[in-house]
Amino acid sequence: MTLKRGVPARHALAVYWRTWFAQIRSIVEYPADLWVMASAGAVWNILQFAFLAVLFANVPDVAGWGYHEMLMLSGLLSVAGGCNALFWDGAWSTGSMVIKGDIDYRITRPAPVIIQVGSSHIGMQSIGEVVFGAAMLVYGWIGAGIGLAAVPIGVLAVVCAGIIQSALVTALCAVNFWIKGQASIFAFLLIELQGNAMKMPLGIFPSGVRLVAMFLVPVAFVNFVPVSVVTGHMPAWWLAGVPAAVLGSVLLAVGVYRLGLRAYDSAGH
Amino acid sequence: MASVDIALATIAFKRKIAYKTTWLFSVLFGGWALLAGLAVWNHLLGDGELGGYDWQAMKAYLVIGFLTGTLAWAGAEWDMANRILDGLVAIDLTKPVDFQRARAAEYIGGMVASVPAAVLGTAIAVLVFRPAGPASPLAAALTVFSLLFIFPLAFGISYLAILCCFVTQRFLGIQWAKDSMVAFFSGMMIPIALMPGWLQGLSWAMPFVHFTTTPASIYLGRVDTAGALGLIAAEAAWAVGLLVAARLIWRQLVKKVTVHGG
Repeated sequence: MTLKRGVPARHALAVYWRTWFAQIRSIVEYPADLWVMASAGAVWNILQFAFLAVLFANVPDVAGWGYHEMLMLSGLLSVAGGCNALFWDGAWSTGSMVIKGDIDYRITRPAPVIIQVGSSHIGMQSIGEVVFGAAMLVYGWIGAGIGLAAVPIGVLAVVCAGIIQSALVTALCAVNFWIKGQASIFAFLLIELQGNAMKMPLGIFPSGVRLVAMFLVPVAFVNFVPVSVVTGHMPAWWLAGVPAAVLGSVLLAVGVYRLGLRAYDSAGH
Repeated sequence: MASVDIALATIAFKRKIAYKTTWLFSVLFGGWALLAGLAVWNHLLGDGELGGYDWQAMKAYLVIGFLTGTLAWAGAEWDMANRILDGLVAIDLTKPVDFQRARAAEYIGGMVASVPAAVLGTAIAVLVFRPAGPASPLAAALTVFSLLFIFPLAFGISYLAILCCFVTQRFLGIQWAKDSMVAFFSGMMIPIALMPGWLQGLSWAMPFVHFTTTPASIYLGRVDTAGALGLIAAEAAWAVGLLVAARLIWRQLVKKVTVHGG
């Protein structure tokens, strides 16, 4: 299998891992940075935990969803965001690289630009997000009484969630090829949409929001659909949509990035 | 206010309105959070009440949260963070302008650019959702007065957050941690009144509570006039306290500046 301009996929993958490990080596050099960022990632999750604990001290359920089931929703969403930051945080730099003309360097190197940009940084808040997110997911899993038989589905859900999240963030960060700006405003909008809506059962929102989250920007497949299936809120066949969402979102990310690179005209024009 | 402050604020204002799409989307963020909040609380409250908030009061609470959120986070936070991360702070140190004061002028200039959109968005939300009105004309006036303190408070919190960039290589994670702290402890995520006593005490002991709970409590008459004035005094104290604390922290952190390994 070869990628664009005859770069073998194996070579691209090797470049990715070499760059990623180089980032790990640089992280170890800055321990203060590591701990500040890991704590920052933990804060979000601890507050999500607190939010749900306070909410369920006042209400018995939310649209038929219990405390532990909603912990799973928040936990899986957090792990997905953490995976994005851990393995593909560089995508968030697309806007600033476009403005500064930093994409120039990447174009001249013999590896796909998207791989170089994606692996150009590791968001260390991911450590806190993944650890505390996984803790919420496991605690919710046990509390909701879901047995070990469903663990393979859980593992698949985590992997797919990380890929869908990273791909959607990449596609939306690539909008900065056309709409110039330091901040990846569309990707932030996605995170906002998820932060506000996807930690809640989708049933409480109007049908328009449900349709968008399911089919237009398939954020529901990051956490809502897999958690709904293992907790029995949705039939099992919905799980087939998860790999489909992975494929769709990855193709979308690659497509938008390629179009963006065609529109890229370096800095100062 | 010196002419240099006005000049810096004007530049930040112009920079903000130059990126019109970015500016528009910052309003959409708040708009989306408001709509999601309305959907969630409409479901949770129904015809009843939680923590003393019925549906009408909760609508007012969420609209006030939208207004303060849109105003507060429209400042030039990323520009400040990038100055430290890119090493531009080294050049700032050679300038005859105090770093904190210059950034405050820029931040508030950026916030002013969001005032028309925030007011317009709030007016639309009021017309569409018809929230509860203010408890009294005096409560309305005191609410507006309390909202003025959002400007120095938002700057103080953002500035403390960006100072973390002296020991980190990126601002994104810091920003999310700060945003989640504000969302939770301001009462935007869940009203403070629903929290257990110890968490309520903790929330009231932090400055974040003044972004939503303070103006909403004054507006809805959950505190009397003396209570409202007390809350406004607390806002003023936090505004000064954050500026002083940031100055003390800056003195320590600025020693850490290394630019290109030098």
